[in-house]
Amino acid sequence: MKEILLSLALFLHHSKKYQQYKQLARGLLFDTNNIYKRYFDLTIIFLVVSSVAILIYEVKNPVPQWLDNYDIFFVSAVFAVEYLLRLWVHNDLSNMIIEEYNNAKFLQRDFNVYAVFKEGMYQKLKYMVTPSAIVDLLAILPAYRPLRILRVFILFRVFKLLRYTKSINQFVDVLVNKKFELLTLLFLLIFIMFTAGIAIYILEAGINPHINSLFDGIYWAIVTISTVGYGDISPVTVVGRSISILIIVSGIAMISFVTSIIVSAFSERLGELKEHRIIEQINKSKSFLIICGYGQMTKMFFRLNRKKIKNYVILDQDINRVEAAKKDGYMAIQDDASSHQTLSKFDAKYCDITILCLTASDVENVYITLNAKSISRKIKVIARVNDPSNISKFTYAGADHILTPNKVVNTMIHAAITQPTMYKAIHAILTGKSIANIDEIYVHNSHEIVGKKICDLDFQGSKLLFIGIQRDKDFIFNPPSSEEIKPYDVLLVMGRKISLEYFKSLHEGDIYVR
Amino acid sequence: MSGKNICIFGYGNHGKFIARGLREDGFNVTIIESDKNFYKEAKADAFEQIFLIDVTNDDELQKIELQNFEQFVCVMDDEHLNVFLTLSLRSLCKESYILAVSDSLNVTKKLKMSGADKVIDMYEVSANKIYNILDRPIATKLLEGFVVNSNGITFKEMTIPENSFLDGLQIADVDFSSYGILLVGMIDEEMGHSFVFVTAGIDHKLDHGDTIVCIGSKEKLDAFSEEIKKRESKI
Repeated sequence: MKEILLSLALFLHHSKKYQQYKQLARGLLFDTNNIYKRYFDLTIIFLVVSSVAILIYEVKNPVPQWLDNYDIFFVSAVFAVEYLLRLWVHNDLSNMIIEEYNNAKFLQRDFNVYAVFKEGMYQKLKYMVTPSAIVDLLAILPAYRPLRILRVFILFRVFKLLRYTKSINQFVDVLVNKKFELLTLLFLLIFIMFTAGIAIYILEAGINPHINSLFDGIYWAIVTISTVGYGDISPVTVVGRSISILIIVSGIAMISFVTSIIVSAFSERLGELKEHRIIEQINKSKSFLIICGYGQMTKMFFRLNRKKIKNYVILDQDINRVEAAKKDGYMAIQDDASSHQTLSKFDAKYCDITILCLTASDVENVYITLNAKSISRKIKVIARVNDPSNISKFTYAGADHILTPNKVVNTMIHAAITQPTMYKAIHAILTGKSIANIDEIYVHNSHEIVGKKICDLDFQGSKLLFIGIQRDKDFIFNPPSSEEIKPYDVLLVMGRKISLEYFKSLHEGDIYVR
Repeated sequence: MSGKNICIFGYGNHGKFIARGLREDGFNVTIIESDKNFYKEAKADAFEQIFLIDVTNDDELQKIELQNFEQFVCVMDDEHLNVFLTLSLRSLCKESYILAVSDSLNVTKKLKMSGADKVIDMYEVSANKIYNILDRPIATKLLEGFVVNSNGITFKEMTIPENSFLDGLQIADVDFSSYGILLVGMIDEEMGHSFVFVTAGIDHKLDHGDTIVCIGSKEKLDAFSEEIKKRESKI
């Protein structure tokens, strides 16, 4: 028996297919970055809504057989499968068995498969009694036809929605944070309710025709304490009315207390929730900018507004700066960009992230650079370096582009004095104002100009100045006209915007000008 | 172009590098400082004309005979001093060319109002560079190379001398690439004193006195600027 279990575990552990499926299921159920999870979620939500809609419709109208079957069999089956999947991926039994086997071999003790098995099953059982798992289970139950009462459990399918809608999750999350306060109040409320209910029962049962049982008393207490006050049961004796006064006053106090707790819980977490939303939003876009620091540099960057930057987020540690950024109408989050936790919230796997380190401190910038590169080499980093002697440190840290404001300015001034005409030209090109843009043409693999010679491409005809080719990190300036264009070359050309566009249209669809 | 008299105010963050660079290019550099430590540094770097004066005092400024300089560069570390200095210079000599650096967002406008001919805003320049890096990384690296001469390819502007073989030719008739260089643009004196990019699509006639701007490797450019002095081209 042991051997069979072990070999089964080993087989599953090494079976690529099995692991793949398990990974897939896990992705569908838990990984918010999984592209298919969205569709899966939407399907479940649709099933829930349709099932409840059928239940409501059924009250007064006859339902066609196929719809009934759909509700009973299909929906329930899907939910059952989902339930089992969740149970399955909750923990890895085969892995546990193998681990136990290895441990046993290492310690040279008896291989006790049953203990592990029990432990694994216990974990699964523990999962089964969590509220969300119970809701899942109850949502399947209506499939059992003979028990008519179970149809009400379809309503539990609505609770399933909780799991599939994020905003409700966040709501619950906020409330869970205030668990202690809310529970304390709840116990107090229950205590008052029971005392008042029992008191009214003792005092008025027999005198008051409406109060016949303890249940009536407690029902009256709840209706009164919640300030709902149906008035179907009302006290008739003086003592009974005195008790009403007491519980009405305490009820008002209690309810306002609960409200204030919930409101304060939300206002405490509001900023965090908003930031969460911003991050989620930005993770949906394919490429985005993370700008660290909202100082003069960042302000200038936005003020220039050379092109619409849609997908960005500003990170700053200083709450005042974040407030300032928000006031100026930018998306900003107060967070420490040099912490691993902060940057790993962004989805470096699926998105192209460019980080601009623009804080005034070199230490901070180099730290952010290292942090970003440690999360993923794919993240592009443009770092500001204030002290030129630090440049080599940034190169070691892996910054893709280094920006030294002082140096840039110094060379600009130097050029402005020594070569005024050239300075004008370069300045015009750099600021992008000029009619002479320098642009890059990215050549695709399967492009029609691949293999053509440069003299075949009529740059002059489209009034473009061909400057050179960037090929595998080398720049070939003014290559001979017999040079052939290879895939993945980047052609550097200068010219008016319309010339560039015209050139692009000549090779419609194949050429890519950024 | 060399031999120009340049007066640099400030030997701090920017001044140091600009002064050294200009001296290498053969300019006559005069440094004026009001800070003792920077003054000493300038001394240590063996500049010949250094003055330690209070730049807020007009009498002291006039003592250094401002009319001798073609250009003033205001790069004091203190932005308030820079603005004040620009104002004093503008009022003292109305004709001269004043270049100033702004280290802060709000100073640029003040400097312009006080009469600086050219203000280089550190943040604006840098922010522009970020856009360029984002938009066209390769071109930016190359352009950067033009300015700092690091990868051998650079810009050069040259004036067409009299009796040059270029005199009287149309741009389209000259094959610049056979010299290993490319023509980027020119100032055609006939058409006014503005810079025209070659890509504007107008065929200019080259005359002596016109300024042309070319890119290419430094040797090729130097060779070409020698070449155009000749009546006949070898190539």
